[in-house]
Amino acid sequence: MSSIKETFSQISPSEFFYRNRDLAGFSNPTRSLYTSVREFVENALDACDQKGVLPDVHLSIKAVDTEQPDPKSYILSVKDNGPGIEPKHVPLAFGTVLYGSKFGLKQARGMFGLGATMAILYGQITTNKPVTVKSCADGKTQDEFVMLLDIQKNKPIIQKHTTKEASKTGLSVSIILEGDYSKAGIKIRDYVAQTSLITPYASITFEEPSGEKFHYPRIVKVMPTPPTIIKPHPHGIDVETIRRMMVDTHYQIPVVDNKMIAKVRSELGLQKKNPNSKVILEKAQKKWSGLSRPVRIVIAMISFLDMDFEKLSKIRIDDLDVPNKKLTYWDFGDSQSHIIALDPETPYYKQIANTVAGDTLHSFLTKRFQRVGPTTADKFAEFAKFKPEKRIGSMTNEDLVRLADSLQKFEEFLSPDPSCLAPLGEEPLSKGIMKFFNPEFASVIQRSASAYSGFPFIIEMGIAYGGDILPKGLQVYRFANRIPLLYDEGSDVVLKVVNEVDWSRYKIKGDPPLVIVSHICSTRIPYKTVGKENVADRPEIERELKNALQFLARKLAVHMSRQGMADMAKKRANLYSKYVPLIAQFVTELSGNKKEPNYKQLIQKGSEIEEQV
Amino acid sequence: MKNKSKQAKTVEAKKRELLSILKDQGLTVYNELNNGKFPQFSIPSRSVSNIVYDKKLRQYILGKAAAVRSARNMSQLRSFTQLAWLAFFVNRLVNEGKTSTLRDIYYSSQAFAIDFEDQPESDNIIVDLEAILTRAREDFHVFPEERSSVFGNLTIEYTVPGYEGKRMNLSDHPDGYLIGPSLSSAELVDTDAELVIAIEKGGLFTRFVEEKVHKKFKAIIVDTAGQAPRSTRYLLKRLSTELGLPVVILADGDVYGEHIAMVIKSGSANAAHLRELTVPDAKWLGVWATDIEKYKLPTIPMTESDVKRIYELQRDPRYQEGNWKTQLEVFLKLKRKAELEAFSKYGLTNITDKYLPEKLELAKSL
Repeated sequence: MSSIKETFSQISPSEFFYRNRDLAGFSNPTRSLYTSVREFVENALDACDQKGVLPDVHLSIKAVDTEQPDPKSYILSVKDNGPGIEPKHVPLAFGTVLYGSKFGLKQARGMFGLGATMAILYGQITTNKPVTVKSCADGKTQDEFVMLLDIQKNKPIIQKHTTKEASKTGLSVSIILEGDYSKAGIKIRDYVAQTSLITPYASITFEEPSGEKFHYPRIVKVMPTPPTIIKPHPHGIDVETIRRMMVDTHYQIPVVDNKMIAKVRSELGLQKKNPNSKVILEKAQKKWSGLSRPVRIVIAMISFLDMDFEKLSKIRIDDLDVPNKKLTYWDFGDSQSHIIALDPETPYYKQIANTVAGDTLHSFLTKRFQRVGPTTADKFAEFAKFKPEKRIGSMTNEDLVRLADSLQKFEEFLSPDPSCLAPLGEEPLSKGIMKFFNPEFASVIQRSASAYSGFPFIIEMGIAYGGDILPKGLQVYRFANRIPLLYDEGSDVVLKVVNEVDWSRYKIKGDPPLVIVSHICSTRIPYKTVGKENVADRPEIERELKNALQFLARKLAVHMSRQGMADMAKKRANLYSKYVPLIAQFVTELSGNKKEPNYKQLIQKGSEIEEQV
Repeated sequence: MKNKSKQAKTVEAKKRELLSILKDQGLTVYNELNNGKFPQFSIPSRSVSNIVYDKKLRQYILGKAAAVRSARNMSQLRSFTQLAWLAFFVNRLVNEGKTSTLRDIYYSSQAFAIDFEDQPESDNIIVDLEAILTRAREDFHVFPEERSSVFGNLTIEYTVPGYEGKRMNLSDHPDGYLIGPSLSSAELVDTDAELVIAIEKGGLFTRFVEEKVHKKFKAIIVDTAGQAPRSTRYLLKRLSTELGLPVVILADGDVYGEHIAMVIKSGSANAAHLRELTVPDAKWLGVWATDIEKYKLPTIPMTESDVKRIYELQRDPRYQEGNWKTQLEVFLKLKRKAELEAFSKYGLTNITDKYLPEKLELAKSL
């Protein structure tokens, strides 16, 4: 095991991604071109979102040599009006893998900002051309970097760095990569179009290799409320996450096993096989300044417990109650719990106290998690059968597993705080739909926040009918965190929910000119595959989708029946203008009159009654 | 001559009356249109629940329920227009002395953008008009396709345009005379007949003519060609009332034959809105169910629908007593039926030589 671990640690992240680029969506020239476009556009939009800037994104794809057949080299450039990146960060941000600022818990398009570097890496691999990054963060000077990535060392190699005056902040990234636009073109056009639908506050231009330009102007001038970074919810936690959180606090009482004993012996330079505690303490006092932290703690414990190594390995420290100056331990020898008082006057006490200065379970929970107040923390401790004062650092592996399990199972936590989510909002969504589809009828809904497995999510949905929409049956546009999902729609939960609806109940028949726009916002979208194209059917998400869809379908039904009534009125008017003159003609002759009766008013009346009916 | 002028007068009076009703209806609608009101017709309901048996009249009549067909109601607008058109069309027919058939009406409508979907729809509108005017369609010159005929020593005089005053004896042509519009409206001038025999089948009708039944029994023979059409029932009615002749009926020995006799006698539910189509004194001679055994007639088994029809008729108020009831019960017991032709087993003339005289003798006591 350990040897494999070491091998991994010797591979740089760049190398790792280089070897596994298929996973990140760079499997072939078509997919790679599409993925690169996505990564750069999403980064640009995310950057603008974070700083509350209305995005202005320019995307262009140009062939290096138009004469060559696909796949060939393309220049992909994406320019935004975002905050830019400070010059000193540019080389690291674009020249290394795993450098990103997106590790916090909030909704964003990409998770860690890895994709853009992957695209750069892919470009370099396929064309051996550097990436060009132009960044202006202060609105005065623009720094231009031309650089390559040292894959093995995971370091940027700057080929050129120039500066010039600038007037606006923003970032522009340009790479040369191998791609197949003849195949990727359709998807890229769809992607850009659908992105503009779900980002109506952005202005997006896209220039194709053919020179054709698509411009999607800004439809709404107001940015959606930006998400805030929040602490994790207890339901969304596993053992590994807890461990990482604990490492953050530097909080651990070392386990005294053979390895630790060996470590203590070597640091103290002990020769004797089993020295008593006195010998150990004497040695330690001399060498104190050179001892490592865990060793110091072990020494401190030896001083309080007055035990030698052999004895020490046969007990388990259960609790170190610093405020009460008490230490509780379990003796495997006599199978009893022992409590000893700690003398605050000894220097060892300070050592212990410092080490254990971390949190009790109670404060760990309230400080490090959302939705956990003092009362809830106490209740939880009781539920999980821990003392609230139990030190997190003193927890054994089994304890941690129990803690993680209990965090999942405890039902009294409030649902996750949705303030880390950034739904688009009903008005922008509605405007986007109106502009995009120009329908005869549209309605949108934003459901209130809900959660699955500790991750909050919000469903936004829109429905559009008629107008410019072609009657070719129900079309579903899927979005997740403002990203269009274009592939693999068959197995998506949204499709599943939509297909379960009996549309005839809502007066929809045949191949209706009907569009559904679904947007799932979450700190973690439960994608079914690495490709991030379809969403798994979590029951909580499914239920919310269903509710949203039902609400919209009912609205549509109301519209349809109103429409039906209007159609009926028209039909009626037609019927009256057709038949009343005939009746008049017949009864004129029948009654022996020469002149036809004045029936005009009756036709008028006839077309009016149905509204009362 | 005296008779002739009387029938001509009746025909003339009927025509004037009809035209006046049509004009009144037309005028009502005309005025309503002029006043911006939605015109409407009140049509006696012909639904089953509104058809009742009138014991006094001895026929089915319509009850008091009536449906309003209004131009206000969008779903009725079309049929209202169709009805107005039919009244208009009938008015022309009657004024011009022309006749038309059901099929003809269906096609004529197409000249006026009156979109009947099919003939049943136009037929239905014709029945509506009958019900509104309480006149048979024959009165307004609309006739079904004819198939029944009459034979016997009866002199008639035509009243139809172009033939006025022309006379004809109905024994001149051995195939019989088609009972069409001209014959229906003709004057019944003179006869030496003492009896009218209505017979269900054309084949037997011919046999009767061949065997000179008209002479032997002093009879006028009428071929009803199955269920008697209205024009035939109308003629039978006139023979009965105008000439005072008794009417007897011979039909197949099955439930349908029995009902053919019943319809001649007391009308059909379909024509409950009309009068003058029944011969209440007509007598059903046979073939009765009891005759099947009595005359040892060869039989064929009843079908399921035959049996079903018996059960249906058993619920009809007219079959609740007497011979009508008895015969139905016997039919149901036998589960077999015999056609008129069955008598041929005992010789072609057996029916006229033996059966008919016996039954006529028996009929006197009915």
